[in-house]
Amino acid sequence: MSHSKAATIFNKDENKVNWHDKALWFVRHKRDKSVHTVKGWEELRNLGHGIKAHTLSNLDNYLIQFEENAKKNGVQVHWAVDGEEHNKIVHQILKAHQAKKVVKSKSMLTEECHLNPYLEADGIEVIDSDLGERIVQLAKEPPSHIVLPAIHKTKEEVDALFQEHLGTKPCNGDPQYLTGEARKHLREKFIQADAAITGVNFAIADTGGIVVCTNEGNADMGAHLAPVHIACMGVEKLIPKQTHLGVFLRLLARSATGQHITTYSSHFKKPLKGSEMHIVIVDNGRTEQLSRPDFRASLHCIRCGACMNTCPIYRRSGGHSYDATIPGPIGSILSPGKDLKKHSSLPFASTLCGSCSDVCPVKIDIHSQLYKWRQLITKETPQPIIKKTSMKMMGNLFSKPLQFEKVGKVARWSLRNLPKGVINSKPNVWGKERDLPLGPTESFDEWYKKRKKNE
Amino acid sequence: MSSRDHILSRIKAHKPEFIEEPVITLELFMDWKHVKTEFTMKVEIAGGQVFEATSNQNVTEQVSAMFPESKVNFSTLKGTDGFNTINLDAINKPHDLEDLDILILESGLGVAENGAVWIKDSQLPMRVLPFITKHLVVVLRKDAIVTFMHQAYRKLSCDQTDFGVFISGPSKTADIEQSLVIGAHGALSMSVFLV
Repeated sequence: MSHSKAATIFNKDENKVNWHDKALWFVRHKRDKSVHTVKGWEELRNLGHGIKAHTLSNLDNYLIQFEENAKKNGVQVHWAVDGEEHNKIVHQILKAHQAKKVVKSKSMLTEECHLNPYLEADGIEVIDSDLGERIVQLAKEPPSHIVLPAIHKTKEEVDALFQEHLGTKPCNGDPQYLTGEARKHLREKFIQADAAITGVNFAIADTGGIVVCTNEGNADMGAHLAPVHIACMGVEKLIPKQTHLGVFLRLLARSATGQHITTYSSHFKKPLKGSEMHIVIVDNGRTEQLSRPDFRASLHCIRCGACMNTCPIYRRSGGHSYDATIPGPIGSILSPGKDLKKHSSLPFASTLCGSCSDVCPVKIDIHSQLYKWRQLITKETPQPIIKKTSMKMMGNLFSKPLQFEKVGKVARWSLRNLPKGVINSKPNVWGKERDLPLGPTESFDEWYKKRKKNE
Repeated sequence: MSSRDHILSRIKAHKPEFIEEPVITLELFMDWKHVKTEFTMKVEIAGGQVFEATSNQNVTEQVSAMFPESKVNFSTLKGTDGFNTINLDAINKPHDLEDLDILILESGLGVAENGAVWIKDSQLPMRVLPFITKHLVVVLRKDAIVTFMHQAYRKLSCDQTDFGVFISGPSKTADIEQSLVIGAHGALSMSVFLV
């Protein structure tokens, strides 16, 4: 289904759309308030961009250095070309430990690889321990946002879900009560877990360590209690030095939620005595993206979600309308690199306003890349006939000034004089849910010429 | 070819021309805010509290007064054995700490810009402690607070820590309709005592 079709479904519930829109804009606003207190914020973004660009230009050597140091730390390092190999590796580690109960903290990579169904098929219980992720897991849905996985759910919906699955009492969606019940439910899961899986926010070449950031403490509760900790990361999570964390930890939480840092920034280097730690390094299309000069900067992404919170399309269409692991503007430049045909409508789910690029903590030129994907997609995938012909007509019109002026005159006159019913008739999609402006009496060209004359 | 070699060779073939590593210039960020005031404000923004104390003994006294109902207490501070109700050596697995009410730890590093304190392995008898406890208390020397994360990592670069964590405030979540709830999976409260 194309993005616009899926968005139409989301838009059926107008109140919910308005709520969704406002809730995300509120997060964007918190981001602004917090970054405005940081002197040299733009310099910090430049550093974030520069360090990531440098890392990609030497990524093979940094990965080798990382592996060497991690092994010295007593960590077992695995490599996976694609999602399937990643799943197999994780499965084998779990089998070797006869692990039947697994707790997992947030990891978009394991979502991307569809790890949960793979493990569940072998009778392994996988519990997502981040509250938002647990909510969508119970609802059998994918996350709709990378930082706020259940942002599309109302508190009443969460209330109903918890009553059904956790046996909670009806509470009119009281977040305090529901969170408390989730804490109890997941405490039990942490205590019983045979293994813990976490994502990785940053992997550090010069120490061989990894950093995991959470607000809830779920990654640590899992990793420190279970006898095995498996951390899964894409190749692009690497940074050269531990000192670079100074830059990225200043950028990440402020961009994500407006917090100055996440509650926990855990630095894992060596496994606990008697426990095992594994790191799975995954490609799954990333080296392909690295080969595309126009799009490789998308690999700078530190997964803060700021581009989603600010995007006028994302806010009004919801994360599920993107039908991709990573939704929103950043997802729309990552996904076509994986499957151009399936995700061909995503780069068009944008006004190209550039707000995503403005808030990106590592200065990815997201809106330019969206535009570049459009150029490629229009050439490589068949476009709807209406779009194709109308684009041709518009191109023709824009190239002939006299004709353009004539058509403009007619259009302005029509907008002033035709009845609303005609202007907003069905073929005019721009008149859907909104009134078009009154046509001005003169064109810009006419106004400009008049002004020149009077000078 | 192994997956490792396959991935590495593809990166080698596809990576862009070498780009220099940028230099971090601390002076760009200096805002001359008052370190202790800033730290206190940021801990509070993160949902924590900051107190002053005169001695270790004074910390445990204040903590006991704050949580009169607490039953299971543990402190790593020197000379506060009377406060402890459990003996960690007698605990076989970290899971037995589930009922821990209060944990008092020392930190040697605080960061003013975000109210985070650094807790490392050598100050931590068990890694799960600061997460599994209901209430977390951290004792920090005033002169151990730096302004920015950049300075914090400079300090950490000469430190061989197997596990360490920056903690800023109690655990929290806003996953249900963006309503902030303090107390997710980790501590329900966090207090920092400056000495």
